[in-house]
Amino acid sequence: MTLSETVQITQYLLAGAIAVQSIEFLVQSRDRWLALRLILCLMLLYPPAASVAVWGLWLFSLAQLHRFDGPYNGGSDKMTLLILTCLGLYHLAPTDYWRELAVSYLAVQLVLSYFVSGYIKIINADWRAGRALCDVFRFSAYPVAESLRDWANFPRLLCAMSWGVMGFEVLMPLALLNPLTLKFGLCIAGLFHLMNALLFGLNRFFWIWICAYPALIWFQAAVVHPLVGL
Amino acid sequence: MLRKTLSLLLPALIPSWRFFKTVAPSPRVEFQLEGEDTWQESHPLPQRLGLRDYLRRLVFSPDRNTQLYMVSLSERLVERETDHSKAELHRLIRGALPEPSGALRFRLVFVSREGGALVHYVEYESGWLV
Repeated sequence: MTLSETVQITQYLLAGAIAVQSIEFLVQSRDRWLALRLILCLMLLYPPAASVAVWGLWLFSLAQLHRFDGPYNGGSDKMTLLILTCLGLYHLAPTDYWRELAVSYLAVQLVLSYFVSGYIKIINADWRAGRALCDVFRFSAYPVAESLRDWANFPRLLCAMSWGVMGFEVLMPLALLNPLTLKFGLCIAGLFHLMNALLFGLNRFFWIWICAYPALIWFQAAVVHPLVGL
Repeated sequence: MLRKTLSLLLPALIPSWRFFKTVAPSPRVEFQLEGEDTWQESHPLPQRLGLRDYLRRLVFSPDRNTQLYMVSLSERLVERETDHSKAELHRLIRGALPEPSGALRFRLVFVSREGGALVHYVEYESGWLV
């Protein structure tokens, strides 16, 4: 996959993810500006207009941060803005070197999003004992239905799930060593986001994280593989 | 304006990615209508969901994302009281009422675990809002 193909696929995925976010807002607020955001999503599908669309959507995301005095949807808004920034810089970059750097930054941040998240859990005794995930189900605001709180009654299962999540997150950088392990790692990551979307209602995380996967696949092939060669 | 923009942008451009570092006390938003004695939970969770609901919410889930926004607003409000968080919570509570009503007030009840038991405590209570 070439760099320009990577960016094009990312833009297609991003158009879908942001369009769904916009329709969710539109249903609630009837804000006419959101119609313009949907038009920009359509423009993302047309390569000659993609640069303008990316920066237009970037400005929307910035305005949204001001409107909600911070992210509306936590990490998913941050990832949306990060992807838009990297794509925007790609389109502005004067040479291939700077274009590669912009996409590489996105790939590195994607790996860090898993590794750091796993590391800060694994150094916490409550996570290692499975108590933290029990608490998530027992009293946090995240389960999407009261019936899911019963999962807190299965501490051994949740302890195993905690280790599964922490293990996958901290080992994610190693998946970069080989194209096959990366594809396997991304499938596990996608499944992890899918479970978070179903159980905790984090649907925006599922769609927006997938948007960054092509950047990581390109990064592995173009940057890591020549260095490591496995 | 520039400083505010930078403070909003930088966490997105250089994210910390510290998801679920600890499971912090979790807020519930409750409101009371003028003339009533009881407090009711705003935007409560459904008791259970069917398979079709789970699948639909995977793609389209505006109400759930409003609930998550209210959690963020509640956490921000107890961390540092701002007019924005207060006004937004008031707007969302009022927007979910089945019919227009007069004054209301709201409170943030936090739930946490102490030992083996769950404890509930009121961390914030607004005045009457119209």
